[in-house]
Amino acid sequence: MDRRAFLRILGLFPIAYHWLLRDLAAAGQPVVAVAEGANHAQTTRNAIAALGGIGRFVKPGATVVVKPNMGWDRSAEQGANTHPEVVRAVVEECLKAGAKKVKVFDRTCNDERRCYVNSGIEPALKGLKNVEVKHLESERFRKVALNGKVIKEWELYGEALSADVYINVPVAKHHGLAKLTLGLKNVMGIMGGNRGSIHKNIDVALADINAVFRPHLTIIDATRILTAHGPQGGDLKDVKVLNKVIASTDIVAADAYATTLFGLKPEDIAVTVAAHRRGIGEMDLKKVRIVKV
Amino acid sequence: MKKITSARISQLLFLALFVVMFLQTEYRGSDRLGVAVNAFFRANPLTAASTLLAAKGWVPLLLPGVLVLVLSAFLGRFFCGWLCPLGTVLDLVTGRIRKTSPVRWLKGSVKYWLLLPLLVASLFNLNLAGLLDPIAILVRALTFFFHPLLGETVRTGWVGLYHLIGDRRDLLDPGYRVVRDYLLPFRETLYPLAFLSALVFTAIVWLERFETRNWCRNLCPLGTLLGLVSRLSTFSRVPARLCADCQECARLCPTSFDREILQQEECILCMECQLHCPNGRVSFRLAGARSAAGGPVMERRVFIGGLVGGFFLARLFRFRDPSAQARLLRPPGVRSEEEFLKKCVRCGECMKVCLRSALYPSFSQAGIEGLYTPLLIPRLGYCEYNCTLCGQVCPTGAIPSLPREEKKRQVIGKAVFDKNHCLPFAKRIDCIVCEEHCPIPQKAIRSELAMLTGFDGRQTQVKLPYVVDDLCNGCGICENVCPLEGKAGIEVFAVKDRTPLKAADERTAPLEADPYR
Repeated sequence: MDRRAFLRILGLFPIAYHWLLRDLAAAGQPVVAVAEGANHAQTTRNAIAALGGIGRFVKPGATVVVKPNMGWDRSAEQGANTHPEVVRAVVEECLKAGAKKVKVFDRTCNDERRCYVNSGIEPALKGLKNVEVKHLESERFRKVALNGKVIKEWELYGEALSADVYINVPVAKHHGLAKLTLGLKNVMGIMGGNRGSIHKNIDVALADINAVFRPHLTIIDATRILTAHGPQGGDLKDVKVLNKVIASTDIVAADAYATTLFGLKPEDIAVTVAAHRRGIGEMDLKKVRIVKV
Repeated sequence: MKKITSARISQLLFLALFVVMFLQTEYRGSDRLGVAVNAFFRANPLTAASTLLAAKGWVPLLLPGVLVLVLSAFLGRFFCGWLCPLGTVLDLVTGRIRKTSPVRWLKGSVKYWLLLPLLVASLFNLNLAGLLDPIAILVRALTFFFHPLLGETVRTGWVGLYHLIGDRRDLLDPGYRVVRDYLLPFRETLYPLAFLSALVFTAIVWLERFETRNWCRNLCPLGTLLGLVSRLSTFSRVPARLCADCQECARLCPTSFDREILQQEECILCMECQLHCPNGRVSFRLAGARSAAGGPVMERRVFIGGLVGGFFLARLFRFRDPSAQARLLRPPGVRSEEEFLKKCVRCGECMKVCLRSALYPSFSQAGIEGLYTPLLIPRLGYCEYNCTLCGQVCPTGAIPSLPREEKKRQVIGKAVFDKNHCLPFAKRIDCIVCEEHCPIPQKAIRSELAMLTGFDGRQTQVKLPYVVDDLCNGCGICENVCPLEGKAGIEVFAVKDRTPLKAADERTAPLEADPYR
């Protein structure tokens, strides 16, 4: 395919899917877009286009938060953080849709300077106008009433709360306790305080937060997945290249689909099950419309 | 300030260089530091001399310091008058401090009482030079007190502004970022010994009220060492005495003309006398062999006393509280405590540069002999797996500078679970935050599934963590992130055998059944 044909098809995606998918979504059936391709940026754009394009979420003048997982001092190919090309593609889409400002941040586990740089995300976004890549500032956390089953209130990051659009961009990977960490668990990156303490009830606690704080769009990076020794890995033998990007407005459905990439069933993941029970989204993939592009 | 002279220009340049290098001793996005303030220590003859005496062998890193020492044998104490940043600071403030009269008892051989025991202690394997080294004193005062104070003040203002105007503060953000990125310490860290570090520095400034450069001429062990060497110098002022008809030099000279004859040992070559001599008589030149280098060196009893003092210093301050030793964690790559004490000059740079603010100056944990040496306190900060900065800035190689792959395998200690505190054992509930954070690719902390009867009577499946000793490098992140309040459920303990972990390809068989494969 030459570039022109490529672009033409690309341009047709939003038009083709716009009415079709919106109608379907309106009918109540969650949609999960699964794009595949070796070019991560293009695959990401295809996944977004399959949902009806970023314009569905990002209106001109909007302030957008793109929240990748960049919690670890690991390189892009080690699969512990969201791939920088995926993040950049999402950010560029938002800018194209007329976003006034796109903010990219995460509460890191390792040193924030090293994580931002070595994940490749800060360098990948360097030079983009109206894009902010800042470390978290503790004064911006705000107490939010969650009234959940195990968490009554917690500090969440102000810039995430005040954004017009919040796009959740996790990487799919193994996790010692939760088995997998996907979209639902990525919310931990905007939590303040002693967030390790929710581990004792992690499935219910994450449902508590996700029930109140709802991302507008979840884009799961499965360009390569970490299959063992997560969540930070470090050994390339544990990394499997899949060249896939999953997008959905239904965070539970997105997680449920991503789970299958590891050879697991959605019901194997307690976090997914708890969120589904709470009515946050659909985990039964038979009830989900999967659009492969 | 007096008229601008070349000595003054050189002083200001080196002070500026010192400040820039100090601020650059910080991670700024690159794994290798281009410049760091350690250059001043490597060019420091006192740290060089004491470290070489202690190590009893050649340390290539210290070549610049040895060169300065050799050069001083020809030129005199040019280091003090042209380079030393502490000396420059004193010159800058001394004009504002009204002078009383010199303190008599400082004039004698106090400086030898300081220098000799330091050097002799080195001979007995205890490197104490950094305690009184002027550059170390300055770096420690900045690192532990003034720089954190600046950071804390600016940041408090910045946070206060947020509470005042909220997100509108973002307008000022670009400006603040420049200040934060180039002038402030990255983390707000409070250090033990901050007060003492500031006190020593302030005391040195306070001494200026008695006479100019009081510390430099009467106490500084670095200056004293250079003074001893400069007795050999052939480059000196002519005439060597005050002229009977003028005596202006006694007023001009900041250091050495408090007696009739120029004290060659104390002349810092500022050349004020040459510049301002009303009669144009003064010059500095290579005078060839000189007689009377300016009074006797030191009495024999001072010499012998100094030797004995050093011996006592090295031997009698070795007491250590054993319970503190269990948690005495040294920076990565330090294999033996004895070797470390020979080389560590207590300059504070590793603590300045540490990414996670994991290193702190020891107060009593390592005994009196270990004052100001760096300790890792995991509950406050952990050793970042991919970081090699402390080894890079260590001026003497007490912390070896290792390539990243090698540094990762260095053993700081070993983690041990405390089952009375650790949640899965003590409360029979899941946690595993330590395992999640363990940076070893094969995981030094693993867990096994167990069916337990919870305290509510119900059967529950709990992940019970354990440590694989052969993989643990003691980085301390597990203890750091343990979500328990106060005491952690896992703690890193010091070990004698700090043989580096085996590289992944050196391991023949899997260490233990890996539950993830």
